[in-house]
Amino acid sequence: MKFPGIFIMLFLAQMLVGEGLLAQNYVVYPDHFYETDTIVIGSEPDYPPYCIIDENGNADGFSVDLFKAAAAAVGLEVEIRINIWSRLREELAAGAIDALPLVGRTPEREELFEFTLPYMSLHGAVFVRRGTTGISSVEDLEDKEIVVMRGDNAEEFVRRNNISDKIFTTNTFRDAFLTLAGGKHDAVIMQRVTGINLLGEMGLRSVEPLDLQLPRFRQDFCFAVREGDYILLNRLNEGLSVVIADGTYEELRLKWFGPPEQGELTMQDMLRLAVSLFVPMLIIMSVFWIIFLRRQVKSKTLVLKDEISERKLKEKELRKLKAQLEKQVEERTAELKEKVRKLDKSQKAMQHVIEDLNDITAELEAEREKLEYSNKELEAFTYSVSHDLRAPLRAINGFARFLIEDYAGKIGGEGRRYLDTIRENAARMDQLISDMLNLSKVSRADINLISADMSDIARSIFHEVASDQEKELFDIRIEKMPKVVCDSLLINQVWQNLIDNALKYSSKSKIKKIRIGSEEDDKEIRFYIRDWGVGFHDKYKSKLFELFQRLHAEDEFEGTGVGLAIVKRIVHRHGGKVWADGEINRGATFYFSLPRK
Amino acid sequence: MEKQNDVEILIVEDNQYDAEMALRALKENNLANSVVVLRDGEEALDFIFAKGKFVGREKNSHPKIILLDLKLPKVNGLEVLREIKSNEETKVIPVIMLTSSKEEKDIVRSYKLGVNSYIIKPVDFDKFVDAIRGMGLYWLLLNQLP
Repeated sequence: MKFPGIFIMLFLAQMLVGEGLLAQNYVVYPDHFYETDTIVIGSEPDYPPYCIIDENGNADGFSVDLFKAAAAAVGLEVEIRINIWSRLREELAAGAIDALPLVGRTPEREELFEFTLPYMSLHGAVFVRRGTTGISSVEDLEDKEIVVMRGDNAEEFVRRNNISDKIFTTNTFRDAFLTLAGGKHDAVIMQRVTGINLLGEMGLRSVEPLDLQLPRFRQDFCFAVREGDYILLNRLNEGLSVVIADGTYEELRLKWFGPPEQGELTMQDMLRLAVSLFVPMLIIMSVFWIIFLRRQVKSKTLVLKDEISERKLKEKELRKLKAQLEKQVEERTAELKEKVRKLDKSQKAMQHVIEDLNDITAELEAEREKLEYSNKELEAFTYSVSHDLRAPLRAINGFARFLIEDYAGKIGGEGRRYLDTIRENAARMDQLISDMLNLSKVSRADINLISADMSDIARSIFHEVASDQEKELFDIRIEKMPKVVCDSLLINQVWQNLIDNALKYSSKSKIKKIRIGSEEDDKEIRFYIRDWGVGFHDKYKSKLFELFQRLHAEDEFEGTGVGLAIVKRIVHRHGGKVWADGEINRGATFYFSLPRK
Repeated sequence: MEKQNDVEILIVEDNQYDAEMALRALKENNLANSVVVLRDGEEALDFIFAKGKFVGREKNSHPKIILLDLKLPKVNGLEVLREIKSNEETKVIPVIMLTSSKEEKDIVRSYKLGVNSYIIKPVDFDKFVDAIRGMGLYWLLLNQLP
């Protein structure tokens, strides 16, 4: 066994990756694994002998063959697009292609791509003129003149490691070799394989590489895939391991680099070293890295699962909320509709009310007009009564008197009495007319409100109404009464009629006493006049204030039955009330109230 | 017509009984020497302004006093009053309104038109005689025209 370590590592990787990670990945990324069996890679046209174009225009070269073999080992078919290096780099970074077969691993490229384990490390070599001696170690180069191509890794290497103080640069590798072959300077440092190939091409036999190791001047070459494309990376690593293990790698190497010569024995050694040292190390690192990735994927899966279930829960809640909201919106809409409907209804009701009110107003207006008309008619009637009814009475009364005066002797005593009766009745009729006119007047007169002292009014009315004899006979007492706002002319009439009555109905009684006073609360003032005259039966007290209602015969107490009706009318017009208490032969009390304003 | 020019009292009264009673009241007061009684407002205006059936009456001979009923046929008393009081010649003649009631409106209106006094014709004739006496005393005997 040439590379026993590799098998151990592959076995290990198979155990860990094949059973664990790949199975897991298959679950997590089902769309990506084993489904895309054909991958697209890019190859350069002129990087001999790794990537070239054959006579048919197809991609060829060691790296291309190796990639195809590695891919075939894990069941992948490969489609190759040919392009220049810089474009291929961009295409892989952009994901237009899946992989590249030959990419030198550098720190900045690691950020763009994922690299498989290196299948080849190219080492630098020291080229000298044939026959040169005295250079057997790197330290021997210290005092030598070294030629490198400007910008090549070799220049960086010699400067970085202070290989020599005497460094010369050329524009091309070819120029470097020509300079050396021309006997100038001591050595050229460059990639060994590239240098050997170039010397062959140039047919320059006078220059040869030394068998000297330059361990720190090395470039690892790998397959590269898109960043994060670990599935493909793993498969390619697996394929690469297989082709290295089954000898395909060696076959291809022989095909492209030929059987080992003297100089390439070193390379075989180096390859052995690389494969036995770096490859297992990288595989171990890959394994740990894969385990780490798997764990991360696991934990991320868990987190994702949690997130998914949480989102589902939230979605559920949201749906519930949405449903609730919709329900609420529906309810509110219904409520609003109901309110609008009610408002509509109320509006209609209001309209009806307004219409009714308009009707009522119109009716009232009509009524008012009627009333105004009746009022005018009443006025005309009153006028007519006062003028026309009186004229015949005057004539009756007057001519009866003329008869008495002119024919006294012929009429005789009885005749004279008849004529007197005629005259008295005419006078009484006149009185009735006067009272009626008075009643009509107090009903229609405008009310002129002024502040009036009721005590003063009652007192002066008494003095006006009572005869001298009555003033002597009657015990009259008028209490202090409050001032009231009223039509004093009309209220005068009230007191006049009430005092007149008190005097009249006490005239035949023993007790001739009149008391006038008032009591009040916060609503009204009640005035009273009390006498100890004939009084009246309680059952008639509601009739007292009616027009032409009398409780006594004309010859008992004269009167027309209008006085209390006038009192009632005036008090009502002031917003007050009238009432009376009485007892037969014990006297009467008449009340009237006036509201406080 | 001579008599018409020498009228002391002009009574304008449509009710013949009232007129008769007025005359009697004047007589009882010895005031009825030359009294003319007219029955409506138109006649009254014709007489006062010497027109119509009174054309030819001495215009400048005015009655010393006019007793004017308020309510008259054709032209009512207030209208007659207005005519008298709006004429420069006649407005100095004392006019006493005769009325059946003390309807305030009539009285106020009369005063506005320039009436000199008024007498309410009472049903009781005795009171009427008293009123006429007072009127006659004042307007015929005491009151001197300017």
